[in-house]
Amino acid sequence: MINEYLEIGLFLTAIVLMLLGFPVAFTLAGTALAFAIIGDWFGIFQFRQLNFLPQRIFGIMSNEVLIAAPLFIYMGLMLERSKVAEDLLVTMTKLFRELRGGLALSVVMVGMLMAASTGIVGATVVTMGLIALPVMLRHGYDPRLATGTICASGTLGQVIPPSIVLVFLGDILTYANQQANLSSGNFAGKSVGVGDLFAGSLVPGLMLVLFYAIYIVVLAWLQPSSAPAVRADPKEQLTRAERWRLFANGLLAPAGLIVAVLGSILAGIATPTEAAGVGAVGATILAGMRARPDRTWVILSGVGAAVALMVINGLGFNLLIQRQDFNASEQAMLYVSFGLVAVLAFSIGLSLVYVFRTQVLTPVIENTARITGMIFAILIGASLFSLTFRGLGGEETVHHLLESLPGGLTGAMIFVMLLMFVMGFFLDFLEIIFILVPIVGPALILMGADPVWLGVMIAVNLQTSFLTPPFGFALFFLRGVAPSRVRTQDIYSGVIPFIALQLLALVMIAAFPVLATGLPDYLFR
Amino acid sequence: MRLLDLSIAVLDGITQLFGRAVSWLVLYMVLMTFANVVARYMYGYSNIALIETVLYAFAIVLTSTAAWTLQRNEHVRIDIFYGRRSPRIRALTDLLGTIFLLSPILWVVWTTGLPYVQRSWRLGETSAEVAGLPYIYLLKTFILVFVVTLGIQALSFALRNLRTLILGHDPDADPLGVPGTKA
Repeated sequence: MINEYLEIGLFLTAIVLMLLGFPVAFTLAGTALAFAIIGDWFGIFQFRQLNFLPQRIFGIMSNEVLIAAPLFIYMGLMLERSKVAEDLLVTMTKLFRELRGGLALSVVMVGMLMAASTGIVGATVVTMGLIALPVMLRHGYDPRLATGTICASGTLGQVIPPSIVLVFLGDILTYANQQANLSSGNFAGKSVGVGDLFAGSLVPGLMLVLFYAIYIVVLAWLQPSSAPAVRADPKEQLTRAERWRLFANGLLAPAGLIVAVLGSILAGIATPTEAAGVGAVGATILAGMRARPDRTWVILSGVGAAVALMVINGLGFNLLIQRQDFNASEQAMLYVSFGLVAVLAFSIGLSLVYVFRTQVLTPVIENTARITGMIFAILIGASLFSLTFRGLGGEETVHHLLESLPGGLTGAMIFVMLLMFVMGFFLDFLEIIFILVPIVGPALILMGADPVWLGVMIAVNLQTSFLTPPFGFALFFLRGVAPSRVRTQDIYSGVIPFIALQLLALVMIAAFPVLATGLPDYLFR
Repeated sequence: MRLLDLSIAVLDGITQLFGRAVSWLVLYMVLMTFANVVARYMYGYSNIALIETVLYAFAIVLTSTAAWTLQRNEHVRIDIFYGRRSPRIRALTDLLGTIFLLSPILWVVWTTGLPYVQRSWRLGETSAEVAGLPYIYLLKTFILVFVVTLGIQALSFALRNLRTLILGHDPDADPLGVPGTKA
């Protein structure tokens, strides 16, 4: 009797123990181990199955797709620690404050750009809460609108590529999709990768940006007092030249970097890992310029060299060096390109020196390393958990459960979405996808869910969960940095319209899967 | 008590030193990935061994930093209840967790990992790629490095929580006394 419910017992015990507060990664793994022993005792699990564990661990260590994650984390932390991201927000608010609702719109745009490179919820909500919230309140914004906008925009980055959570989700979906194809005997089934998920989440992500923007504009128009235009006093008034300089330095450069990274992946030119490497170096260069504005020109020469290299490449000179038959012009161009590479390398080196001297580099790499270690621990915990869960027969249980729900795929999706939504109150993105997607993913894909669509639904759903009172994480983070005259009640009620927008988006993606699948199908097939 | 303080400080010191050293590999990954991109797209040159060094660096960072993360208390916790408890209760949770959840994991990874790594050494396992780096057995050894470094830190973590249990507070907590929260 007991042995039939062991897998359910494992799931529930793990959740209860996690609530006690010991690190999630170790709780997951430890609970799984205890149930493996109990299962072995009852003869329904063979302890020997755990011998696959080192293989699994090595599989994580040698997964080339995952290399993109620390590189994106580095890029995000570099933009944040060097205050490039902060400058972006300040610039946007200066440029757009004279519009009604302009400050709120700036927050949405920055949330889109900044979080696109990090995908770490807390960081973005905290940064914007510290910088933009006081500005908005000082200029008479309704605290509900201000806090709602910050929470929603700060979590938006998870949904918009190239966020790191999408890297992991994409990798898990690749595996879930293979499993589904295998078990249905469909060996020619389509394959799915991180690039597909990036492409798939772009349209829904931008749709959310649009929804937020429309809401803010309409509210500012109907109720000008909630989002007033800011009349800057004359001495703060910007001249046209100043505006252009702000626009170029504070806005164009970081936005350009992010667009370049994303564009090269979506255009199918670069792998996510390669694009992440370029993004990380680009962020270092921006940080270097920020650290020593007086040396901008030296560093800019490196950027110029990079552009020149791309032009040479684009002109079609054949510089493939593993051959002998160079003609004269190719020979010359080769030397020119070597020179340009040297200039580029010099400017990267110089940026690194400046970033190091301003005490930015060391914290960035150290934090990147520790976040990577944290993710690895969760991955191991989730591996051990799913190894045991499967060994106890959990996969069939889940499959039967999902198939027995009324409404076929729709019913199963609603169930899984609700489950994830509730888990989102307690766990964060990575844990939920590491625990749940390997278990429910193959079953849902077998029932007919498109893997990319499934991934986008999960991402938007979890983002909504993080916004929902009273447990949503974004709300806690903002409460932590908001001034005390902003009432918790304001934060809760401010975020409700955004939750409604999220749900609208979720329903639209559910009803029109082409919103998620259209772009990857168009780009990659 | 002085012996306890000393042990914690020494163990933490080892973890921190190792973590700091390893974190520079992140910079290596960034620069080497970028260099490979330039070489590949400009000159059509790609060196599999060089590309694999990035993977090696990644694997080393991945396995070697979990201990440091534990020392900084940055592993993700659910702190809805934990956060509201007294330092003693928290210390008790962490002590029991370390003994009953973390230690068995380390034991299992070690006992299953050791034969796995030994086999790789015996075979002198090389890369699956023809021109790849021939040091897979070294790479696999980092599974054991993970266990050892995390084991050292788990010991220090247990001792630290024991001390908190005795004293009622952690003498070297940061001024805010904030345990690792969700990030």
